[in-house]
Amino acid sequence: MRIIARQQINDELTELMRQYGEERSALLPILHAMQDKYGFLSGLILQETAHALGIHPAEVEGVASFYSFFETDKRLGKYVIRLCQTISCNLAGKAQVARQLENELGIRFGETTNDGMFTLKYTNCLGMCDQGPALLINDRLFAKVTPNLVHQILRDCRRDFVKSVFPQVVPSDVRQSGPLLEHGIKDGAALEAALKNTPGQIIELIENAKLKGRGGAGFPTALKWKLAMDKVSDTKYVVCNADEGEPGTFKDRYLLYNHVGIIFDGMTIAGYTIGARKAYIYLRAEYRYMLRYLESEIKARRERGLLGEDILGKKGFDFDIEIRLGAGSYVCGEETALIESLEGQRGESRNRPPFPVDTGFFGNPTIVNNVETFAAAAMICARGDVWFRKHGTEISTGTKLFSISGNCERPGIYELPFGISVNEMLRTVGGEDAKAVQIGGAAGQCLARHEFDQAIAYEGVPSGGSIIVFGPDTDMLNVARNFSEFFVEECCGQCTPCRVGNVKILEGIRLLEEGRCSILYLDELVKLSRTLRNISKCGAGQSSGNAFTTIMEHFKDEILGRVHTVAGEN
Amino acid sequence: MAKDIDIFDQELHRAPTSERPFDFGVSPEHLKTITVTIDDREITVPFGTTILAAARQLGIQIPTLCYHDDLCIAGVCRICVVEVDKHRNLHASCAYPITEPIVIRTHSPAIREARRHVLDLMLSNHVGECYTCVRNGNCELQKLAHEYGVNFYRFGKAEGPKFPIDASSPALVRDMDKCILCRRCVRTCVDLQEVGVYHTMNRGEQTAIKTFLDQPMSDVVCINCGQCVNRCPTGALHGNDPSDELWGMIDDPTKHVVIQTAPAPRAAIGECFGLPPGTAVTRELNSALRHCGFDKVFDTNFAADLTIMEEGTELLLRLHKALVTKEPVFLPQFTSCSPGWVKYLEHFYPDKLDHLSSAKSPQQMFGAVIKTYYADLHGIDPADIVTVALMPCTAKKFERIRPEFYSSGYQDIDYVVTTREMAQMIKEVGVELPRMPKSGFDDPFGPATGSGVIFGATGGVMESAIRTVYELVTGTSVDRLFEQLRIMPVRGFEGIRYAELVIEKVGEVPPILRSLFDDWKWLEGVTLKTAIAHGTANAKRVMENIIAGGKLSECHFIEFMACPGGCLGGGGQPIPTNREIRAKRAEAIYAEDEGSEVRKSFENPAVQTLYKEFLTDGPCGHRSHSLLHTTYTQRSKKMI
Repeated sequence: MRIIARQQINDELTELMRQYGEERSALLPILHAMQDKYGFLSGLILQETAHALGIHPAEVEGVASFYSFFETDKRLGKYVIRLCQTISCNLAGKAQVARQLENELGIRFGETTNDGMFTLKYTNCLGMCDQGPALLINDRLFAKVTPNLVHQILRDCRRDFVKSVFPQVVPSDVRQSGPLLEHGIKDGAALEAALKNTPGQIIELIENAKLKGRGGAGFPTALKWKLAMDKVSDTKYVVCNADEGEPGTFKDRYLLYNHVGIIFDGMTIAGYTIGARKAYIYLRAEYRYMLRYLESEIKARRERGLLGEDILGKKGFDFDIEIRLGAGSYVCGEETALIESLEGQRGESRNRPPFPVDTGFFGNPTIVNNVETFAAAAMICARGDVWFRKHGTEISTGTKLFSISGNCERPGIYELPFGISVNEMLRTVGGEDAKAVQIGGAAGQCLARHEFDQAIAYEGVPSGGSIIVFGPDTDMLNVARNFSEFFVEECCGQCTPCRVGNVKILEGIRLLEEGRCSILYLDELVKLSRTLRNISKCGAGQSSGNAFTTIMEHFKDEILGRVHTVAGEN
Repeated sequence: MAKDIDIFDQELHRAPTSERPFDFGVSPEHLKTITVTIDDREITVPFGTTILAAARQLGIQIPTLCYHDDLCIAGVCRICVVEVDKHRNLHASCAYPITEPIVIRTHSPAIREARRHVLDLMLSNHVGECYTCVRNGNCELQKLAHEYGVNFYRFGKAEGPKFPIDASSPALVRDMDKCILCRRCVRTCVDLQEVGVYHTMNRGEQTAIKTFLDQPMSDVVCINCGQCVNRCPTGALHGNDPSDELWGMIDDPTKHVVIQTAPAPRAAIGECFGLPPGTAVTRELNSALRHCGFDKVFDTNFAADLTIMEEGTELLLRLHKALVTKEPVFLPQFTSCSPGWVKYLEHFYPDKLDHLSSAKSPQQMFGAVIKTYYADLHGIDPADIVTVALMPCTAKKFERIRPEFYSSGYQDIDYVVTTREMAQMIKEVGVELPRMPKSGFDDPFGPATGSGVIFGATGGVMESAIRTVYELVTGTSVDRLFEQLRIMPVRGFEGIRYAELVIEKVGEVPPILRSLFDDWKWLEGVTLKTAIAHGTANAKRVMENIIAGGKLSECHFIEFMACPGGCLGGGGQPIPTNREIRAKRAEAIYAEDEGSEVRKSFENPAVQTLYKEFLTDGPCGHRSHSLLHTTYTQRSKKMI
């Protein structure tokens, strides 16, 4: 039996390596394909894959066990139901949906039904925060799920979605669009405009537009591109960070699904500017349902001469885009962890410096930019820097896409200029009675009412786009616990402060829930979060204590000295 | 004879890109030096030097845990953080390359708080009491907890063990409750040794170092080299210590307990007693061992010389087949004295086992000779003889129990004790080793020979073989070519070394080999091609070169050692071991060689006597074949 299985696996590996290459970077695509086929990654699969790629089986298991979408223990069900457990879906009633799923299937989360049909799992943010609770069944997304709908969803699964009443694609709520979303530019037009300039001129243009990275950290895009451009190397890479994992953001999902042309334009312009011939889109596994669409778009662009060789007639300008899937890891949104993941490693961040512009993908100069940054860069090339600077503030130019969710009347996607105050934003979305707002997702900070006059901008409160509104009845300790659990689970596990520190913070929150935490110990935990910020290896670790610190700062009276245990949601 | 190491310049790293040494490409910046300020003192260092290295040059001690001199950079423990300029965050000094003039502070309130926190966090997950830990007194975590004044468990203390102890391996024990996830073992096994037993599994709180499918150590591709043990900062990995049982044997009056000491422990055990690395205590150790209660103390060098006679003769026989009778024969011949290397080959290149010399390792040869020749000589029942070997090596513990090693009817070797374990035993009897009187080895296996001593360093087996084979074939001493018998081309610490030796004219066949060869004419003008590799990552490069038909496939004889530096860097050697310490131990070994009266294996009088009285049909003869040679087992890198 095993000999036959081994032979079969090896035949498949040969085929997969023909498709994805024989480099280590083929590992994640191979594991995805194997898991699809066999339902899980058995020891035999891990071992044979390792030997085919010339690496050690333990290394492959290390990679497979790192990502939450890979399963190494037991075969998953035909339908893997992944219910979003992050804060927005929590606020929208995830707990009831979870309970009903368990009731209908007769299993607990983490288990598989005896007939092998269903596996129940929790997952972190699916990017449907404005339409929660959301769940993903294989590559199919369900939004605004109610306990009552659960039965119907399961019934549709059993019928393999023949004549399903649920839409194949969940529409997004764009509540307010602006210059970016209303660009009206045809595919390739921005690229065409850009190619009239030299790379140096493009960088000057983007520099004048003062474009900063839209992922949240706000690094000047022109500077990043210039550093990569100045690097002497035959091989350079452009990487589009579509690993939108920050709880509460979903604007990249919308952009990719509705405005991918301008993103491709931006990536191609970046390739032209820095001298790269190859680009990757690192698409998070949660967005895998977009994969086929995006691949067809790439194919169409190739046919139109917007990708491939001598693009738009420009001799010697060759450029192509390939999509690589993540496998369920928040940390891979950090650029160096993303590159590690692309290389087929555990998604663990690298030591910086050196930076990716020096030693990125396989040691080559690489720029990693957010989806929205590429779109903005393309727009600047099409419309000019003056047009871009018309919006926003002196330092934070342009408009920004915000993903707004939580306790407000009109959650959804908003394109708003930088510099808008939290108050204004709350008025726009119908969340005036909010008691707190989380800006920047789990890694961001929690603002209380007295801080609502602050402006959202790189010079004010920075945000990659995630805004979560907490209504007057929200239990802030519950919020803190949700974020803390998120980091405990998503921490890559390499550095001590983030790996152990976040567990200690979560244990502290449990003490608070039980009303058994002294102020002295709470202060110690706040100091610990300061250490996390100071010494964690990557940005994710450094920001993992932010939410805890800010919530503890503003809501001590609500949190300390609780008399009875507050029931957890999970 | 030329030394040629350039052909293997390419690095073969398995480590993730992030952990590899810094490479800023070829640019003029490469040659620059940079002046930085560390704690108000200036220092000029080459471009790319880490802050940690620069600080050490100034004598500033920055604490480290995941950093190890031999390994690529991880930067995961975060204990070595420092302030750079006015950056908001602190940086790991082990991982921060200096590329511009910066101002660094290695202590500040934030740094002290951070380091305390890192220690507190580690201790909150560290199960086990220091008293019952094998690393008590030599633990890096314990030392830092002391230095940073940790006086309570700030974030609590882990209750009870979470992981079962894996003592399935004869060589080493894994106690993962003491693991601080510094990943030194992973980097050692995957990158330095290319064996790949461990890796980091899972993520977040669940992160753990595990074997493939969490199988016990006895069932994985582990070669027992113990390099991970030697690099573990805590007691999470340690040797499988037989000393309790061994005391029982020593205390049993019916048992005749003899010990052989290998050269590498003698050059290193002094470190366990506070002596500087590179202090040989061979003769003090003899007295200490007798004080412990061993009945006889023998020198493994005797068996090393015997190995050279057997292995050298085997090589000549293979060459004869290849050059004269044109029989199919496997060349190059590989050395077989490093059991880690042997198991590596059995797992990863099972179809290449015919290249291994069939000669047993010196340890095993000695055991076989003791339980036959020595037992006869002294009229002791071999069943009452307990053979102990003091070795620098954890793989010897595995080699000892291999089923192949019962050729005398008894197990060749009954106990293997590593350098560290022996130091412990000596301390237990209250002996201060450096102050012991000096004494020699017991007869009939004679005094130490230089040719045996150098087995302890990488290149030593090759050097001994050349000294003997060259003289047996040409009739002239090799010191005609190399002053003081220092065969420099095979010495050094480069990962792979290649050397050629032309046999210009030949002499008479010496009496000991006359039953095998009529003359040496067929060797006249032949260029003997040899190579040396140490560390199994380098061994892998050699093997791949041979398989690809590269330059090394033309070699006649290749020495392989599983451990970096050879035996002196063995897994059972004192902790710490690093480049500098290995070099010092090598110095001690070469000094002992030069101080020896006999420096060529065939001149060892005890070996000569053995062939005269016992192995009367000569090297590779019938008797030596049954007692001193062995076979190997095909294993696989496929565990399922």
